Amino acid sequence: MSELQSASPSEKKKRVIVGFVCERSIPIHDMLDAHQALLDDPETKIIILPCSGMVKPTQMELALANGADATFVCGCAMNDCHYRTGNIMIRERLEGERNPKLRKSTDKRKVGMFFFTMKDKRPFLEALAQFKASTENL
Amino acid sequence: MYKKFLSLTKNLTVSLEKGLNFLTTQENNPLYFHGALPLYTFWFLIFSGIMLWMYYIPTLDRAWTSVNYITSLPVLLKDASGQLLLKNGSPVVAAISPATGIPYGAVVRGIHRWGAAAMMITTLLHMLRVYFTDRHRSWRWLPWVSGVLLLMFVLFVGITGYLLVWDARAYSLVVSTQAWLEAVPLIGQGLSNFFIGGDAIRDFTLTRFFFFHIGGATFIFWLIWMHFIRLNEPVVTPSRAVNFLTLGFILVAAGVYPAVNVTNNLIAQYPVLAVDKAFIASDAPAQIGHLVEVIRYDAWYLFPYYLIEKVGVNWAWIILGGATILLFVAPFYPKDRRENIAEVVEAKCTGCTFCSLDCPFEAITMQERAPGSKFKLIAVVFAPRCSECGICVGACPFQAIELPNTHSKTIDADVLALLKTGA
Repeated sequence: MSELQSASPSEKKKRVIVGFVCERSIPIHDMLDAHQALLDDPETKIIILPCSGMVKPTQMELALANGADATFVCGCAMNDCHYRTGNIMIRERLEGERNPKLRKSTDKRKVGMFFFTMKDKRPFLEALAQFKASTENL
Repeated sequence: MYKKFLSLTKNLTVSLEKGLNFLTTQENNPLYFHGALPLYTFWFLIFSGIMLWMYYIPTLDRAWTSVNYITSLPVLLKDASGQLLLKNGSPVVAAISPATGIPYGAVVRGIHRWGAAAMMITTLLHMLRVYFTDRHRSWRWLPWVSGVLLLMFVLFVGITGYLLVWDARAYSLVVSTQAWLEAVPLIGQGLSNFFIGGDAIRDFTLTRFFFFHIGGATFIFWLIWMHFIRLNEPVVTPSRAVNFLTLGFILVAAGVYPAVNVTNNLIAQYPVLAVDKAFIASDAPAQIGHLVEVIRYDAWYLFPYYLIEKVGVNWAWIILGGATILLFVAPFYPKDRRENIAEVVEAKCTGCTFCSLDCPFEAITMQERAPGSKFKLIAVVFAPRCSECGICVGACPFQAIELPNTHSKTIDADVLALLKTGA
């Protein structure tokens, strides 16, 4: 059995996920500890912004380049951005359909995007867990 | 207190929408297309209205007859239990004058009638949704104020549509409107005369109502332009599924409950019409001086007349006027602090236009730089329109536009700090 397989959960390498979250989507202010980490998932650190459309792809690249294992953005539910188009803008930027885009060299598998309402804490945490699992071996 | 109320209404609205998402999916939830739906239903009114216009004659003696001509062939009727009347396995067709009439004219008029109901319902839904989610204040004042005007004109055009039929109810509504207008001090009589196109009801009266109806509908287009002018890429059409759902609702409603003129002869033939006519029908022709004993009020357009009947003209002015004033001032209270308005860093702006193109509220314009500058254009933020959302910041590849209290450099530093503590 390899070392990795035999390692207990406590010996697993600590991962860091950086999330950029719109303050009007999930109830993010109630979900953080004093160090900007999610109470339900301390590996995930959060930057709160007024709108997901404010996120620059370069900021997500900055996180990845400086040690983040993955990064994501979370905005309002699709069709229901408080500022009308912020979630559409960031989705199109991350999908390469609108400027500014991610660099071609960026591993897009490590870049996630979620769109939820203020009532979607649980679906968000589930989606985040799935995203983390999908990026675990990258 | 008021902000807490808005927060509560937002919570309830989002919960309701989330519940509906289970049935419709998020992509096809009609409540997410609340703004596009009134415009979509307006197109039904425009096209069905043009078809009705081809046969409508706006004179006292011909108006009712011309509407009757449009709708006299053929009409499916229902019995008291709501079932379609069947005879030998075929739908019964009521024909007032079988030799004349426009085929399916009653259905086209039904589309006009049901489309009008759908437009008012969706307009009110849009307004309530915008209000309950606190998306009507501050930099959004123009869409809200133009929206209030749109609501008023939709109501006005709908009411004048009821008058054009020129049945007994229409005459009673005109008399009621005149009394309401004449209650205005000093200019009341003038307003009343303007409304009926002279000092008495004549042929010009119907011409005037026709002008109000068509002119009002045309003005609605201008108001829609005002409504959209500060919105970048407004959503003007719902999703395909919602489109078909709305289309189906209006067509089925118009097919099952087409609009007809109900005469005593027709009621004698089909007594069910006496029950159903509140939905689908007009009365017998208007006769000057003969008011109907009981006005049949619809749910969406004739409530001002219900109010006039119940509380009198003066109180109706006070209630309707007060409600209108409250709607107009709603976006200006409570005032938000405006401390994070986007600022352009002149030295870094290349004039690429990305921020201007992405700003959701048209708050950024591109202006010519002074001759000899390195770049031709520079972004300029018009502060009263800025929502402080930061979408322009996300759009700028050069860090040339920033929210002063949420600076990109601060965010970058926060990212690095989080990684340091998290590692």
